[in-house]
Amino acid sequence: MTGPLLYARSRALPVTLAALAGTAVFALWAAHRMEMYLDPDRRVPIVALAPLLAAAMIGASLRTPSDELDRTAVRPWWPLRLGQLAGLTALAAALMSPAVLGHPDVFGPPALIRNTLGCTGVTAAAAVLLGARLSWLPAFGYVSAVYLGSSGVRGRAATVWAWPMQPGAQPGAWAAALGAFVVGGALYVVLGARPEGPRG
Amino acid sequence: MTSLPTVRTITGHPLRAETVRGFASWAGAAVVLTLGVLLAGSSPRWQGGWAETATELHNAQLIVVPLAAAAGCRQGGRERRRRTGELLTTAVRPPLARFLASALPVAVWVAVGQLLAVGLALLATWPYALGDRPHLALVPGDVVASASAVLAGHVVGRAVPSRLAAPLLAMAGYVGLGILAVSREGAGRHLNPAFPAGDDSVPLWWQSVAMAVWTAGLAAAAVLAYAARRRAGALLPLAAATTAGALLVLTGDGLWHTDPLARRQVCDTSVTPAVCVNARYAGLLPQVSKALSGVTGKLEGVRNVPVRWEDHLGAPRGGEAELPNLTPIGWSLVRGRLTDPVDFAWQSVAALSGHDECDEVPPRVYRTDEAVEHYLAPSPGEAYFDELSARGTPAQRAELQKRRAARARLAAMGDEERRDWLSAYFAAAGTCAGLNEVPTL
Repeated sequence: MTGPLLYARSRALPVTLAALAGTAVFALWAAHRMEMYLDPDRRVPIVALAPLLAAAMIGASLRTPSDELDRTAVRPWWPLRLGQLAGLTALAAALMSPAVLGHPDVFGPPALIRNTLGCTGVTAAAAVLLGARLSWLPAFGYVSAVYLGSSGVRGRAATVWAWPMQPGAQPGAWAAALGAFVVGGALYVVLGARPEGPRG
Repeated sequence: MTSLPTVRTITGHPLRAETVRGFASWAGAAVVLTLGVLLAGSSPRWQGGWAETATELHNAQLIVVPLAAAAGCRQGGRERRRRTGELLTTAVRPPLARFLASALPVAVWVAVGQLLAVGLALLATWPYALGDRPHLALVPGDVVASASAVLAGHVVGRAVPSRLAAPLLAMAGYVGLGILAVSREGAGRHLNPAFPAGDDSVPLWWQSVAMAVWTAGLAAAAVLAYAARRRAGALLPLAAATTAGALLVLTGDGLWHTDPLARRQVCDTSVTPAVCVNARYAGLLPQVSKALSGVTGKLEGVRNVPVRWEDHLGAPRGGEAELPNLTPIGWSLVRGRLTDPVDFAWQSVAALSGHDECDEVPPRVYRTDEAVEHYLAPSPGEAYFDELSARGTPAQRAELQKRRAARARLAAMGDEERRDWLSAYFAAAGTCAGLNEVPTL
């Protein structure tokens, strides 16, 4: 195995792809169980939590098993890292969208894509700062806290800090999620995940 | 002599080293930060109400328990990641002591983090509190449940050699507890450490103890079954957990009863109608009295008005009108202040006429009600709706003319005449049966 294929194998991408597919199937099943055709607001749990799960899976794959060796490489790493992060994010969004088809202006595919971008961005930034193994923690803490804490909260600021819970057409939430993805993604693409020592 | 510091490090208790170094304190920080985001985001919903603060802190168990389990799970995989498992088996300490040395510090830090968040929330509520006293009955059960989740998660982390174990445990725990929390039936829901609590209800005193024994018993059974030399010892905590669980399930809805304070109200009887607010936020009475002072001033000497605006649990009794809803806080009551006294006064007047619940209100009565509201406490949206009607269809414009004429007639009456007319109006108010007796303007 050489080049991108070896890279994919070393980041456990087959397992990650399987986990993303599993997340999508779970989202689809939950969407049917919750009878969401009755009311688009019932999709909020899926729109907020499925991207969180997908981002945790993506975050776990951002590791490198041979950090010191990687740093001796002649070839630049950023194209491979960018391809991995962008590809997995796009794939996750594409796989999960069928679970929430329709109602694009409230809780439909746009909101789900936005949350996937935001959660992956936060997770990628966490992978740089904390390491890939713990990268799920900040996004899980933040999104689950906002999920419980933002109901009934109004105001312009809430559309930004409560971005995972906003309808799809909310510009403030898009700005926050895109900002998280751009910053987190750039950090990861440039720096790579924090090396995991024996203490991991 | 130079080796003295090294000697001291080695002889220190392993629990101390594990507690002050490594992941444990970070787990506590994660709990504080997560609760901080939740509490800061929802602060209008709980700040200023002791019962609401306690409810919010308890309902946060939905996040804290999975987070604690995932933190334990990560810590549990540590020896495998460091490849020190084999080395540790050569230690003279029994496996249970080795297990607890790495698991307990995380549990302690998670509990400390949660207690810190509880303390901060209580401090944040204190300056805005309007009555009542801090509700702490649920805190011990919650903290024990979180610490138990750490121990149970640690067992999972030791047993499952996967990177995805911790995030999956967190998500599965969150979704699972969430599904349990929304189920409204089945006695099993009382076993959920994150069951949703209500603002008006308080638990029996032993509920927290039974919940603590239930969660700690299950966790201790898992730990003993995994790490103890004599695994049969796991049966003892399992039996305790089963007993506590059976108590919780058998008592069922009886675990919760209405807060006696929520049934009481405090009243300002110096005005007519008297103004009452629930005893849970008794300190709000001066603000409510002030908001309604314009209305009570204009109603002085008017007969047949309701005795009081009530704010106890349940429907108004005979001769009472319902005070507009102050709870759930976060809408008309935020951080101990009425957000919109003008709107509050208008809603209070609308409750006096009692025609809101009638199926069909004749236009004549509707106009009369509206004119009385305009005189006593105009709606904040009145000018806006008048503007809409003025630009509407000819029928709407004609209706606006009639509304304005009715308001003008009431305003033009002499004080004595108006008191008599209002007395007649309130004699017919309060029931849908009296719609036809409402005097015309």
